[in-house]
Amino acid sequence: MAATTATAAVLSSLSFLSPNPSVSFLFPKSTKPFFLSGSFPSLSLSLARPQPKASDIDTAFFDDLDPEEEVVFDPPTPPEGFTPPPAFDDGPDETEDEIAAAYEELYGPAYSGISVLGNDVFVMDSKVKKTSAFGKVKKDKVRDGFEERVVQVRRVTKVVKGGKQLHFRAVVVVGDKQGQVGVGVGKAKEVIGAVQKSAVNARRNIVTIPMTKYLTFPHRSEGDYGAATVMLRPAAPGTGVIAGGAVRIVLEMAGVENALGKQLGSKNALNNARATVVAVQKMKQFREVAQERGIPMEELWK
Amino acid sequence: MARRYWNINLEEMLEAGVHFGHGTRKWNPRMAPYISAKRKGIHITNLTRTARFLSEACDLLFDAASKRKQFLIVGTKNKAADSMARAAIRARCHYVNKKWLGGMLTNWPTTETRLHKFRDLRTEQNTGGLNRLPKRDAAMLKRQLSRLQTYLGGIKYMTRLPDIVIIVDQQEEYTALRECITLGIPTICLIDTNCDPDIADISIPANDDVIASIRLILNKLVVAICEGRPSYIRNP
Repeated sequence: MAATTATAAVLSSLSFLSPNPSVSFLFPKSTKPFFLSGSFPSLSLSLARPQPKASDIDTAFFDDLDPEEEVVFDPPTPPEGFTPPPAFDDGPDETEDEIAAAYEELYGPAYSGISVLGNDVFVMDSKVKKTSAFGKVKKDKVRDGFEERVVQVRRVTKVVKGGKQLHFRAVVVVGDKQGQVGVGVGKAKEVIGAVQKSAVNARRNIVTIPMTKYLTFPHRSEGDYGAATVMLRPAAPGTGVIAGGAVRIVLEMAGVENALGKQLGSKNALNNARATVVAVQKMKQFREVAQERGIPMEELWK
Repeated sequence: MARRYWNINLEEMLEAGVHFGHGTRKWNPRMAPYISAKRKGIHITNLTRTARFLSEACDLLFDAASKRKQFLIVGTKNKAADSMARAAIRARCHYVNKKWLGGMLTNWPTTETRLHKFRDLRTEQNTGGLNRLPKRDAAMLKRQLSRLQTYLGGIKYMTRLPDIVIIVDQQEEYTALRECITLGIPTICLIDTNCDPDIADISIPANDDVIASIRLILNKLVVAICEGRPSYIRNP
């Protein structure tokens, strides 16, 4: 992350997309594939992008591009006896069977319905989750070490020509008690369905909280989301979490034991939960700051 | 990433018209570093940069293909649709040449359901099960099958999300690009003078209107993928 600020200075001629903190808090633990996204050429997206998992695709060439520099195109010399390969249209016409065989060799029969090489056509059936006959899928409650706590369930109404349509909106905070939390919203016609949807949503936007060894914050911070402002302050061990409503639940699910928090602006539960997440994301560990500034940690405490 | 020779010829590109941009009024100022001149109300892209990016993109594709990654080519311009499909078939990649359905990648479980339905309909058609039904049902199923064939025909071999996505026109395939970004999939995009070069991971400034230029660039990328695959035997 420190390298990105250095190269960002080089690419100052390009106007940057402003980093948007409320977009896609995708966490590397989720099941989606991630890559070392060598974003071309602007790296200010690194705040909104997920943390890349180390991958073997090396897109690092595009990280240090300077658009103003004079690019000289000097291709390596062609190897001896190089004939340009035929264009995709001109090459020999392949029969459908050949194409099917080539694809099957690479990917297996997948969803094509035909198998030229003799593989089982229904190979993808085992990947389908069987839905039980009652329509309610039995899922185990404790899936991946994350605990869920419902912050608020509200009944919301949409007025249509026929009358009022009632839905339930659930705000759920998901966290292991080791410094990872996520806030999610979900709406459904039943409370349980809404809680499940919001839990799924929360697992998608998980953030890590920087914590000290006494399970408190490194420093004060304020965060806002919408009209809600939240102020967080570290506390000495033994204090416990002194905060109201949504803020308390977020901090408890994160595993923070000692903290002070206050909702300064609006008292809306969802916005306050999101504001604590924003506040927590602004915090930095002392080690990081010392590294970025290039000074020993003792200087920071003077 | 070793640099290889990809037979990228600047004269060839000039002939195909890769250097033409869109009209001057429609440009995106972020493309300023890649525009070399303005002629008769049309921006001209800097071909040396294009060639450089193209060769680097080809190197990347070569490496990825040798590591057996899966590619997806997205291009829905109706002029270039069938040449795009042929290019993808030649490279043995997945492709989307008719409309990109929203949520194809982000809503992958639902797309999988459709693919299952597609496969079941195909097997039924092959075993002649459609003839045993009454005419009306058979006609409905055939219609469904043809719809699924047009939209999902290119991705019927896709078992999981692709590793690299190649997009032909950024303005047209903006939804596809957005989906790849939310999922974190690296993208290679053909950029014209009215597009934003910062969104995609690798953007190749080129002309996306003229079929010849799309074919040229696709050709180079397809050759790179083919060569990278370990099972490819080079025809003399």
